[in-house]
Amino acid sequence: MKQYLAIIVMDIKLALRLRAVIFFNYLFPLIFFFTFATVLRGDSGAMTFVVTMSVTLGVLGSGFFGAGIRSIQERELGILRRYKVTPITPAPLLVGSMITGWAIFIPYIVLLLLMAHFIYAMPLPAHFFELLVFISLGLVAFRSLGLVIASVANTMQEGTILVQLFYFPMLLLSGATFPADKLPKVMRIIHNFVPATYLVQGMRNIMLKGQSLMERENVAAAAVMVLTIVGGTLISMKLFRWEKEEKIRGRAKLWVLVVLAPFIVMGAWQWLHK
Amino acid sequence: MSAPPVIHVQQLQKTYDKVEAVKGIDFQVAEGEVFGLLGPNGAGKTSTIEILEGLRPRTGGNATVLGFDPDRQKQQLKDRIGVCLQATNLPAKMRVQEALELFGSFYTRSLSSEQLLKRLQLWEKRAAYYDTLSGGQKQRLALALALVNDPQLLFLDEPTTGLDPQIRLEIHGLIEEMKSEKRTVVLTTHYIEEAERLCDRVAIIDEGKIVAMGTPRELQQKSHEQSRIDIVCAQPMDVSALPPWPDALGSKLSDDGKSLTVYSSRPARTLFEIMKWLDQQGLQLEDVHLKRPTLEDVFVELTGKRLRD
Repeated sequence: MKQYLAIIVMDIKLALRLRAVIFFNYLFPLIFFFTFATVLRGDSGAMTFVVTMSVTLGVLGSGFFGAGIRSIQERELGILRRYKVTPITPAPLLVGSMITGWAIFIPYIVLLLLMAHFIYAMPLPAHFFELLVFISLGLVAFRSLGLVIASVANTMQEGTILVQLFYFPMLLLSGATFPADKLPKVMRIIHNFVPATYLVQGMRNIMLKGQSLMERENVAAAAVMVLTIVGGTLISMKLFRWEKEEKIRGRAKLWVLVVLAPFIVMGAWQWLHK
Repeated sequence: MSAPPVIHVQQLQKTYDKVEAVKGIDFQVAEGEVFGLLGPNGAGKTSTIEILEGLRPRTGGNATVLGFDPDRQKQQLKDRIGVCLQATNLPAKMRVQEALELFGSFYTRSLSSEQLLKRLQLWEKRAAYYDTLSGGQKQRLALALALVNDPQLLFLDEPTTGLDPQIRLEIHGLIEEMKSEKRTVVLTTHYIEEAERLCDRVAIIDEGKIVAMGTPRELQQKSHEQSRIDIVCAQPMDVSALPPWPDALGSKLSDDGKSLTVYSSRPARTLFEIMKWLDQQGLQLEDVHLKRPTLEDVFVELTGKRLRD
């Protein structure tokens, strides 16, 4: 426990000292928020759309860039190698990364909701706390996905390509930035299989429809996030590499599909029942 | 009864794909000893030391370190040893004292960061970010991190490579302190003077094999190279007056007659006789230099290459 606490405290300090972290976690989503909120002011449904878009941008950024790319960077720079000579295992480093991301991001979510309410008159969700719990699950799930990508990428270049392959389709096809029902038919099918779709839908259900987290489809989305967290953490631990010289074989990259399995099952179920 | 060795290595082998990096080496390191692995880049020093640290699995042979098997009891072993890696890094925005406190938290036992910072002359830099430290300060911090769990066994992998001579001397001083505290130190280096100055025993390693092992003096004595005495006088010496010096194997006088070079198998005795002769001849001595065979000479003799090739 001493190791976990020390790593989490240190990670939070380091994150707050890095301008890039502040920019991508706070400023970048806020720029989107203010730009769209100013245009759509007065329409509470549209404000919910703006808030979910800003949250999704932040969650995906934190997961893929904050956890994934940073982990590859630490390996490439030889930082993980220094940890390797100590008795520490990968578990505190991975869990620390997920908790740190959450601790840095949750204040931003609260700030965003309060700004949407007080500046742009968006009603506060009836299940405010449940919304935070749901977003927290989404955030940790996407950080664990980011860590799996970091585990299977052999180089920074490979990691960047993989991250882009996940980040942009998720942003565009999840319905966060573009209404999903306006997508072409094929894209709508793919939309069901995109992990970020369930984050966006869950948030909108709680914020717009006033649903509780305990509603069946929200519980299903939350369960998928929890499965991703557990699966992602276990796979990241299994594939964890301390040094850039330790390469992973091509076939091991298929573990990414295993961590995405809950979303694939959920997507298939949604598709078949529509 | 003598204490069991801290490190026991028997027929150790390491293969990477088809490349044999370590080809069945044997050695032991006693408690309180500073043991050096000397060899050029790619000789197998780092592979050997990293197997013993529990960082890489061995391909064959046996190894025990502090009674632990580095392959099977990694965590217990890592908790008891200190390691200063050849190439490593810390997050740019981590402060010096934070690094010591963080790494201290990984061990079951740790020294106070304040005590270590003062000892490693980093107290003034305790609040500095890692990326603002000089090369020497980073290396001192690496040594402080290696000492954070107060280990009785330290592995220092090329601790002075790439540092300027002044910093290298500082690091030598720190390693001598560790030696005086009776810690066991395993050191890899390709700097001859480092091995000669710091190590109680040295294993010369080349192409994955130990080609010679012993104290630096023992190894130097094994050399077929002779010691060389260089004498410079204010007045020219007469070549026909040069006597046969005891144990001298040959001599050479410069064209101006002022510089004399004598090769000897027992340089102290030969030098003494030369001094007596100069005095008798009334010649004024300007300079004298005695060069013994170095570990580098031994290495060249044994392997046919230079250490920094």
